[in-house]
Amino acid sequence: MSSISIQIRYLLTVAISCLLFTVGTSTAEDAGNLYNTNFDINAGLKYFERQCSRCHGFDAKGNDETGAPDLTGRLSRASSDVGVFNIIRTGVPGTAMLPVAADLPDSQVWQLVAYIGSLSTDPANIDLPGSVVAGSRLFRNRGDCNSCHMIDGEGGRLGPDLSRVGERRNPEELLTDILDPHQEVAPRWWTMRVTDNEGVTREGLRMNEDSFSLRIMDAESNLWSYQKRQLASIERVEESTMPSYTQTLSDSDVDDLVAYLFSLRKEN
Amino acid sequence: MNRFIALLAPLCLGLGLTLPVLAQEDEFQTVITPAFSPVTWERLINAEDEPENWMMYSGTLDSQRYSRLDQIDKSNVAELEMKWSYQIPVIDRAETVPTVVDGIMFITEAPSNLTAVDARTGRVYWRYDHELPDDLRICCGRNNRGVAILGETLFMSTLDAHLVAIDARTGNVLWDTEVADYEAGYSKTAAPLIVKDKVVTGIAGGEFGIRGFIDAYDPATGELEWRTYAIPGPGEPGNDSWSGDSWKTGGAATWITGSYDPDLNLIYWGTGNPGPDWNGDVRLGDNLYSDSALALDGDTGEIAWHFQFTPHDVHDYDSIQVPILADIEYQGSTRKVMMWANRNAFFYTIDRATGEFLEGDAYASQTWAQGLDPTGRPIRVPGMAPTYEGILVSPPIVGATNWYSPGYSQQTGLFYVTSFDGEQEFFKRDEDYEEGERFTGGGGRYNQPMDAFHSSIRAINPATAQIEWEFPIMPRSSAGITTTAGGIVFTGSADGYFFALDAATGEELWHISLGARVHAAPMTYAVDGKQFVTIASGNVVYTFGLKDD
Repeated sequence: MSSISIQIRYLLTVAISCLLFTVGTSTAEDAGNLYNTNFDINAGLKYFERQCSRCHGFDAKGNDETGAPDLTGRLSRASSDVGVFNIIRTGVPGTAMLPVAADLPDSQVWQLVAYIGSLSTDPANIDLPGSVVAGSRLFRNRGDCNSCHMIDGEGGRLGPDLSRVGERRNPEELLTDILDPHQEVAPRWWTMRVTDNEGVTREGLRMNEDSFSLRIMDAESNLWSYQKRQLASIERVEESTMPSYTQTLSDSDVDDLVAYLFSLRKEN
Repeated sequence: MNRFIALLAPLCLGLGLTLPVLAQEDEFQTVITPAFSPVTWERLINAEDEPENWMMYSGTLDSQRYSRLDQIDKSNVAELEMKWSYQIPVIDRAETVPTVVDGIMFITEAPSNLTAVDARTGRVYWRYDHELPDDLRICCGRNNRGVAILGETLFMSTLDAHLVAIDARTGNVLWDTEVADYEAGYSKTAAPLIVKDKVVTGIAGGEFGIRGFIDAYDPATGELEWRTYAIPGPGEPGNDSWSGDSWKTGGAATWITGSYDPDLNLIYWGTGNPGPDWNGDVRLGDNLYSDSALALDGDTGEIAWHFQFTPHDVHDYDSIQVPILADIEYQGSTRKVMMWANRNAFFYTIDRATGEFLEGDAYASQTWAQGLDPTGRPIRVPGMAPTYEGILVSPPIVGATNWYSPGYSQQTGLFYVTSFDGEQEFFKRDEDYEEGERFTGGGGRYNQPMDAFHSSIRAINPATAQIEWEFPIMPRSSAGITTTAGGIVFTGSADGYFFALDAATGEELWHISLGARVHAAPMTYAVDGKQFVTIASGNVVYTFGLKDD
């Protein structure tokens, strides 16, 4: 196993501020989060489990059925603590996201903001042992990762686009993705093998499947769409097509790759 | 429409016009004025005899969702084409089952609005916007599932726990009654049920420590006629099935529409989970009448009998399913039964006169019970209650089915249900009750992608509780089911299809991609002798019919 040890540090210097947070339905406009100690994060977790998990999930990874978004990565509606605070306080009109109770103190809303913030991994708070530069080189050369994965428009189509993978996967998850790619495979990357009524068999990545039809992309990037009733057989392989790199990469290689992948964000 | 033409004809003749001329000149001529006949109780009892109308949430009082219309049948259903669509202006999830009376369709919309349209064209007569407070306490989305109608008045539940009476001709509010305090966690989403001269309605809020009840209101005034609590109070039978004061915050919401048998004069209504949902430590005992079917006297609301599907539930297996009533052949005689595919993954056939359990078996994957004992009580698998660390149990919180309507066909004698074979990790947490706050005591987490689970439409023989056929769909669906004398099962799926199956075999007859999740049940009706079938998908209500000659 890799020697990576990930230390997540919350370098939370509490700025002394003359801002006063009052109980009520205030909207935060220009303030950082003063309620961000581990105690606050834990209080936020408790509130989240009770009030928010029904839609966002106990793991805050969202729920396609309710339409509640994943809160563990980059947030689509807010890019700062203040933005998150305002959404919690005012809700999102026209959606099931209702405002919290009007009499909930701002301090508790901030604790919730702190908990949500703790779910996404701020790269500034993480020391990684690997080298981003070495990882980038490995990705394109010896590792041959770019034959399947695209970054910023360059690379293959047989795996997920990794241009912003650092926003949605933390270093531990990236490590698992490299060493044990079958552990967590999104259905988009399952493989389908289908044979039509004329006996023609095709295999490809599962672009989409529904009750009556399916669409795949084969190894040559051809897109195929079928009605299920046209098919004599449908086989689904719920595994990743990516090999494990346990044997082919050294621990330090893996460290470098993780550092590089984790650095891939919009701003970079 | 025939009724209306009969009314209109003398007027037209008096003006020197003829109906065919009018029809040529203006296709909307018959809908200038809403002209439906008042919906009497007699019409509601005999709703099956006027299949051109769909006059209540489940079509008929027995909730079979079986229509005698047979113009669309197995031989021509593949020729269905879209006739019109109605875009609901508020973007949200449409769970509505429209009501149709004499060519007028009433569509409820999220969050608590109501629109009347011409059932032939989908064009609007009027729209009612219910004003809501901005601090609602709702557990699971802003939606409304339908109306009830009596006379010329529509009755609708609202998210702020009101019952509103609306003039069917204009959309004007006749009265607006607060059923319960929304700030304490009460809300309302289900269509009421007319029983004789009363509007019977339930309540939602089972995740907020409410005390569930079923109410009956005077349709003319909105005055409360009776209230039956789904949790007995001190001194009443069953109160001792709750430890301490837990009965006060025990949930047992009644958030879906029930059914009624005029001969037995019994109302049948399901009840929801006990609260807190996933931590039963604070409410020891069977927790009556949570997760139960209640049979209530049609005049007084008094409980005639109860059947508890899941005593001391700790998995949120609400018995919020629409009870389907039918008379079936069972072991050599005709029995008046109630059929129920429960969220807990078991199907039940129950004598609806007495509450006696007749048949039952699992119809979907489940790991929490070894089976049912001879009285229908589940035999639990030890150690399947939620833990602080989490424990994997099937079915998951959403259940093997849920609130979406099942169906029954008088042609096949089969019961149809949208089912889900899934599993989830259940957690428990310690929580104190606070009024208006969530009171659930835990939650759940999927450990696999939704596409890894199996969903299907299943046909069950109520005499044996065994599955006759199944049709796979994906992913988990919240679509209800409607059957017709054309030999068809109509339903939808979460991946945005509306489709028709052969009711006898489950063979696919027709499907169309509507592009957005079907989260409602279809219904069918006829105007001017032409049958239509309607379904909500995403934010749109679609109506289909056969090609015009």
